[in-house]
Amino acid sequence: MPTATLLPLAVAIPLFGAVLLAVAGRVLPRTGCDVLATAVAVGDVVCLALLWPHTHGVATAPLGGWPAQVGIVLAADRLGAGLALLAACLVLAVVVYSWRYFDEPSGERAGVFPAMVLLFEAGMVGFALTGDLFNAFVFFELMGATAYALTGYRIEDPRPLQGALTFGVVNSFAAYCSLLGIGLLYARTGQLNLAALGRGLAGHRTDLLVVTAFVLVITAMLVKAAVVPFHFWLPDAHAVAPTPVCMLLSGVMVELGVYGIARIHWTVFSGPGGVPDDAFRRTFLALGVLTALTGAAMCWQQRHLKRMLAFSTIGHVGLFVVGIALLTPDGTAGTALYVAAHGCAKAALFGLTGVLLDRYGSVDEPGLYGRARELRLVGVLFVIGALALAGLPPFGTGLGKGLTEDAAGHGHPWLPAVFVVVSAVTGGTVLRAALRIFWGFGETPRPRPGEPETTGEGEEPEIRGPRRALPPMMVAVPAALLAGCVLLGCVPAVARALAGGAGTFTDPAAYRAAVLGPAAAATAHPGTPGPVPDAWTGAGVLLGLLSAALAVALAVLATTRPPTWHRAIGATARGLRRLHSGHLGDYLAWLALGVAALCAVIAAQT
Amino acid sequence: MSARARLLMFAAAAIVIGVFYGVASAETPSFGRASHPYGDRAVAASLAHRTANVVSSVNFDIRAFDTLGEESILFGTVLGATLLLRLARDERRRPAASERVLPTTRLFGVIWLPVALVVGVYIVAHGQLSPGGGFQGGVVLATALHLGYIAADYRVLEKVRPLAVLDVADSLAAGAFTAMGLAGLAAAGAFLKNVLPLGTFNEITSGGTVPLLNAAVGVEVASGVIVLLAHFLDQAVEITGNDEPEEAR
Repeated sequence: MPTATLLPLAVAIPLFGAVLLAVAGRVLPRTGCDVLATAVAVGDVVCLALLWPHTHGVATAPLGGWPAQVGIVLAADRLGAGLALLAACLVLAVVVYSWRYFDEPSGERAGVFPAMVLLFEAGMVGFALTGDLFNAFVFFELMGATAYALTGYRIEDPRPLQGALTFGVVNSFAAYCSLLGIGLLYARTGQLNLAALGRGLAGHRTDLLVVTAFVLVITAMLVKAAVVPFHFWLPDAHAVAPTPVCMLLSGVMVELGVYGIARIHWTVFSGPGGVPDDAFRRTFLALGVLTALTGAAMCWQQRHLKRMLAFSTIGHVGLFVVGIALLTPDGTAGTALYVAAHGCAKAALFGLTGVLLDRYGSVDEPGLYGRARELRLVGVLFVIGALALAGLPPFGTGLGKGLTEDAAGHGHPWLPAVFVVVSAVTGGTVLRAALRIFWGFGETPRPRPGEPETTGEGEEPEIRGPRRALPPMMVAVPAALLAGCVLLGCVPAVARALAGGAGTFTDPAAYRAAVLGPAAAATAHPGTPGPVPDAWTGAGVLLGLLSAALAVALAVLATTRPPTWHRAIGATARGLRRLHSGHLGDYLAWLALGVAALCAVIAAQT
Repeated sequence: MSARARLLMFAAAAIVIGVFYGVASAETPSFGRASHPYGDRAVAASLAHRTANVVSSVNFDIRAFDTLGEESILFGTVLGATLLLRLARDERRRPAASERVLPTTRLFGVIWLPVALVVGVYIVAHGQLSPGGGFQGGVVLATALHLGYIAADYRVLEKVRPLAVLDVADSLAAGAFTAMGLAGLAAAGAFLKNVLPLGTFNEITSGGTVPLLNAAVGVEVASGVIVLLAHFLDQAVEITGNDEPEEAR
């Protein structure tokens, strides 16, 4: 099938599936809804898999037959299509995982939950595939509107509603910023297509309009990507969202924010009249490192498993931001693989946490101490997931981390250390929790009533009714996701394809030529030609082993002798934790501060 | 953070953002200039498809994919409200009581409800010709029904809004938009392509698929907004907590 068919189909399939479920769900029994949702999810995976071979360069689909100057053009390269495929695969995993997960809403509303998940998928896929800035905003909002509702799913408990409200308000606030920025760019160029916007900016010098528009447009992406100080909503939302929704939020939605930053920078702002490379590189390297370290430090201190995983996502997002901030094909290729592998590993870990919630009604690390000894298989998978998070070879996370480290180390020899520390601490934290929960490592934890921390106790199990056997899919899906994480590291074709895709992604001239016609290529910087590394290196393997070893050491140390060195870092850590106050006003103040600071910092560098 | 610190931090940041945005806005093209890059292209494209209302042409033809996204947001919002405002385990439904209304108020409702409905249908149907369209007309239609609540009581509103039908209509209209997009793909190889005969300029049948997409959005917005409001009104009027005393409502 031609790309003009496949690209819009990838969005239309889940949209249509959502409608089918909303209507048919009124009469179909629960099983029928699950079968229908799974069929639609499989259909979209197939559609995107068929698209994949067509994305050597940039595949385009002018919608309605209109050219880019007038209408909307979908444009997919390997990275965009790959991210859409990742989203589709995770949605399939989530739909299968939740086959027997929920018992509400039932009756004639049984189709509502899978329908919402499919709408969420349409938003993510559309965002990854569109070549139009305003259209990207529309899909950003579609992702948002569905994600807020999915987050607040458990209505009996006030916490999910609070988390969903924070999520909704902070993201909407950022979306308005983005809309203002789009307005500024449109006023200057009269265009909305990404490639045409880039060409339009080239006629002017870089002035405050461009800087302000850049910061405002990027704000929405930074909030979605949970980059410090825009990240506060994420742990609050992830801690309370139902487990299958967390798998999607952490596994791919947050990463779409990072993708948005890179895509918009390369297509719109990378040429003359945009944001200078050095300004972008310095600013986003700093933001990335800050995010990575904050995420890791906060992750270590969590006892609520979902909050722990949420902060680990923030830590990894920081590393992804560092990877794209390098502005090289190598860094972009490594990050792309890292994102895909991390998505699989993180979704698997959330899925396994869902098993704990299902069995014990708790996601509290000390509260579950030694209680899950009977779930040996789940424990083993949890440990594997933790090691994957730490970047152990041959997991895809290890390869992605190695490639990104290698790219980062060229200009900044200290950056690989950040990668090792952050992956070791986040992996070590999860490992620590696994050892305590599934094997009862170390001493019995004492209650710490005075600590300002979020416990994971008193959570409602997400399913009801008489105690039943564990649905096999709740273990099979995480296992399959972890296997996918290994495959991403072991099948060289994947890394090779993404490396080629990164070459196209970082070549604004190729993008412009594909969307606007060959004559437009001359107005953009050509990409850097040359081979992009796509295989394991000795250094990469060693650093991966080092991270994993450090993670094991940290976990063992933490379980055997916790108090002494905990106290040493206690004061600063507690200060950092207090900043995550849960107060919506605080979060918005930080968001505004971040926008103002970014405006000032980038303006100072132009 | 204390309330004062929070306010100071936000105010300082807001001033900086305001200054940047103000300076940036001053750099935009001034009002009333002769050059309108997108306007010129859009008007030409709209006339080429014989659609008199250029805004509708942008919404339902040139950039119809944006509208597909937007109506999906509305569809998702309605589903989300269904999900979040479902009857919780500790809640129960108490039918609304009939209320006394002044006869003049009732007369007002009886006269204006049909008028408002006709206005709504007119605005949807003439979207391709004059200001208005599916979004605007749909909201008029939805609010028209609520005259029943304002001029009478909640029981009357419940009689004039068949929720199950509207719920299905909302979904089907959302699906119809996608289906027409697919029809364009099948007939002419481009998603959402305007494949129908374009008709005579400034006639109600002009614009090809524009009136159809317009109507789909009109049905979706009207039924979606009614269902959405129904969920919220139910929460306010009929649904009570288990432990809440009845008179505390």
